[in-house]
Amino acid sequence: MTIVSTCCPFGLSNVTKCINFVQIKEAKTMVKYNFKKITVVPNGKQFVDIVLSRTQRQTPTVVHKGDRICKLRSFYMRKVKFTESNFNEKLSAIIDEFPRLKEIQPFYEDLLHVLYNKDHYKLALGQVNTAKNKISKIAMDYVKLLKHGDSLYRCKCLKVAALGRMCTVMKGIGPSLAYLEQVRQHIARLPSIDPNTRTLLICGCPNVGKSSFMNKVTRADVAVQPYAFTTKSLFLGHTDYKCLRYQVIDTPGLLDREIEDRNIIELCSITALAHIRAAVLFFLDISGSCGYTIAQQASLFHNIKSVFKNKPLVIVCNKTDLMPMENLSEEDRKLIEEMKDEAMKTEMGASEEAVILEMSTLTEEGVMSRLLDQRVAAKMKSKKIGDHLNRFHVAMPKSRDDQERLPCIPQVAGEKEKRKTEKDLEDENGGAGVYSASLKKNYILAKEEWKDDIIPEICDCHNVADFVDSDILNRLEELTSEESLRKAEEEEVGFEIEGEELTEKEKNDLAAIRKKKALLIEESRLKKSNAQNRAAVPRKFDKDKKFTRKRMGRELSSLGLDPSSALNRARSKSRGRKRERYDDLSNDAMDVDVNDDEQHKKKKMCLRSKSRSLSRSRSVSRPPHEVVPGEGFKDSSQKIKAIKIGHKSHRKRDKAARRGEADRVIPSLKPKHLFSGKRGNGKNQRR
Amino acid sequence: MATRLQFENNCEVGVFSKLTNAYCLVAIGGSENFYSAFESELADVIPIVKTSIGGTRIIGRLCAGNKNGLLVPHTTTDQELQHLRNSLPDQVVVQRIDERLSALGNCIACNDYVALAHTDLDKETEEIIADVLGVEVFRQTIAGNILVGSYCALSNKGGMVHPHTSVEDLEELSTLLQVPLVAGTVNRGSEVIAAGMTVNDWTSFCGSDTTATELSVIDSIFKLREAQPSSIVDEMRKSLIDTYV
Repeated sequence: MTIVSTCCPFGLSNVTKCINFVQIKEAKTMVKYNFKKITVVPNGKQFVDIVLSRTQRQTPTVVHKGDRICKLRSFYMRKVKFTESNFNEKLSAIIDEFPRLKEIQPFYEDLLHVLYNKDHYKLALGQVNTAKNKISKIAMDYVKLLKHGDSLYRCKCLKVAALGRMCTVMKGIGPSLAYLEQVRQHIARLPSIDPNTRTLLICGCPNVGKSSFMNKVTRADVAVQPYAFTTKSLFLGHTDYKCLRYQVIDTPGLLDREIEDRNIIELCSITALAHIRAAVLFFLDISGSCGYTIAQQASLFHNIKSVFKNKPLVIVCNKTDLMPMENLSEEDRKLIEEMKDEAMKTEMGASEEAVILEMSTLTEEGVMSRLLDQRVAAKMKSKKIGDHLNRFHVAMPKSRDDQERLPCIPQVAGEKEKRKTEKDLEDENGGAGVYSASLKKNYILAKEEWKDDIIPEICDCHNVADFVDSDILNRLEELTSEESLRKAEEEEVGFEIEGEELTEKEKNDLAAIRKKKALLIEESRLKKSNAQNRAAVPRKFDKDKKFTRKRMGRELSSLGLDPSSALNRARSKSRGRKRERYDDLSNDAMDVDVNDDEQHKKKKMCLRSKSRSLSRSRSVSRPPHEVVPGEGFKDSSQKIKAIKIGHKSHRKRDKAARRGEADRVIPSLKPKHLFSGKRGNGKNQRR
Repeated sequence: MATRLQFENNCEVGVFSKLTNAYCLVAIGGSENFYSAFESELADVIPIVKTSIGGTRIIGRLCAGNKNGLLVPHTTTDQELQHLRNSLPDQVVVQRIDERLSALGNCIACNDYVALAHTDLDKETEEIIADVLGVEVFRQTIAGNILVGSYCALSNKGGMVHPHTSVEDLEELSTLLQVPLVAGTVNRGSEVIAAGMTVNDWTSFCGSDTTATELSVIDSIFKLREAQPSSIVDEMRKSLIDTYV
């Protein structure tokens, strides 16, 4: 952001308007000027060398007179255009980088005018711009001519003429370029004065001690000599007061003469006084050792007092070690009183003590306070203060309960002795990257030797921290006491157990239990070993023939139920052969009470029947198509079909006796001894 | 007195350290410069523990504590927890919290008596804070920001909050916390107060970017070096106006 000012012609009559304009237009965040970044300005000859060398290096250089005419034309037009664009680029950079006097802060505008003369400055930049335009026009004209070239020689002549005229223009502005280079070098050495920050400005006659004060107050190192005009330009220093940074500007001495007669050195001071909103320290040498009387210094004060308006002004009576104030003559004292009255007018409300200072020892309290007061007063009137009122407010708490909340500050025992820190140890042991401090050094443990214990993170695939119990000692005591009680009880119980023996009934029960367990174990092992070979089928097929009628009757009887009807129903569902057999038995049982003859007769028949059954079971095997429960076939026809398919599948294998699918044989289809005879007249190659 | 320092060229010293009245936690760095700055100020008074939390160095933003206890997030490993328990005094309770908002330093601002908490913390976490740290817990925002732990630095003597806190909010928070409060900045205008500084009842550490004006405000509000909070309104008013406006 820049400030546009209408204070073009510099003069004392415009100072007030200029200051008011600055105050109205001031922006909070001013762009800081950085004049050190301006690029070096080459002189006219160097400029020509730079651009022509670049043209030679960056454009084609080989062309033949036998080429087509359009190629010849474009070759040379390219050179002319390239050279023109380079000149244009460099000259534009110069014009853009140098500050524009109308667009920068008034202080810098006037300072540059004082140092470099505004007219010369603008003329130089104007000539650079004129040269840029001339070169563009030259390039355009010669490109037009080249479009009508009819031979290599003519095109080349036109190109040479174009570049030559451009170089002539550049040589013409050689003096302007030299002047701008001088300006650039000097402007880079100017101090970086911020016109808007808190500033103290030291002014006065030459040789009154301004630079000595500067060196005392800040860390600047301005040359100090016992003659006039040791300081020939503005110097800048910084100091801190009440946590705020102040810049202090030392100026060259001023002589008592009209504004038109002042030289460049003095005009620097006047410019700073006019444009910087600073607290002004007007130094007065009351001893006269500077070469000027107090009357002359007072005359200078009245001459330039118009630039002090709206600024805190302090008259500093310096060198009081040489001439105490009491020893001044009446006439000199009167002059100082007049200056004091004039100083109080520049700032209304200033007290008498704050206007004048006596100094040989350095005191700067009043000066900065007055500047700060003025700035604060100006800012309090602006609208921005409302946004920041909370920053100047400290909220003190109101009591909301009776609870006391005291700070907790431990008492440090006596003087803190010089302690060796970790950084000292690090430096002793090889520095950062080499030294590795132990994190366990400062552990607070019950025993010192516990610091270096190695605690495992994982034990038996378990996280140790999951089993950490801070209450473990108490639990250990509980377990120990519980163990003691248990041992005592066991002794009593053991004494009782020794005398006990099993009764006969208990022994039999124990034997039965163990036998049943052994049977169950054996059955389970058998089932487990046969698990791979036997298919899982529903229970109704009764693969193991476990569910018999006797078992059902036995179990029903054990449950306390009458098994007769259930057994009869089961019997009616069984197969025919079994029914015949059991019918005979039941008939025998029913006819027991019949006559003895009949009984004897039936006995014989029964015996015969039994013998027939036994012989049948021994001599006749089961038909192969008979369906046995558990085989998985639904009826006899299905089983017959399955048997046929099975026979068919290994018929070939049965014919081949022991051969199976793995016994593969590749026979010799054409054995030699069967297909060959004696050698004839034909060729020997049969294949 | 406030000390200015930085951690490996980073001025946010509150991110890498946690300072209370009973102990101080410091991040493990590549060199001992940061640790020794705390050691020269605090050694022989309170233990200074070099640690990491969850494998990271931003321990100041992950844990919340005062002289009664220390709360660490669920990302803390068992070894780090054991290291903390071995290093801290016995009266300091170290508790791991299973909380969704695991940056506890950003969610909780506390001194030894009162704590401000994030408005979205669980009810169980609030009860744990009250039990372990021994504080009254209030759910509050600071200048409209819910990360109360970041925009607020508290001790038993004073507190500093976000610079955009209004005067009414300042008064309300001051009554809740029962300490004087001021709206200020650290690290040359940074509004994240707790990241740029760490403070207890007798000392403070700030980033090296902190300006002289900010240091004076810190000294005054926390009553370090015999300064008083009223001096912000009286003696430093002009300096603050010239700086801020």
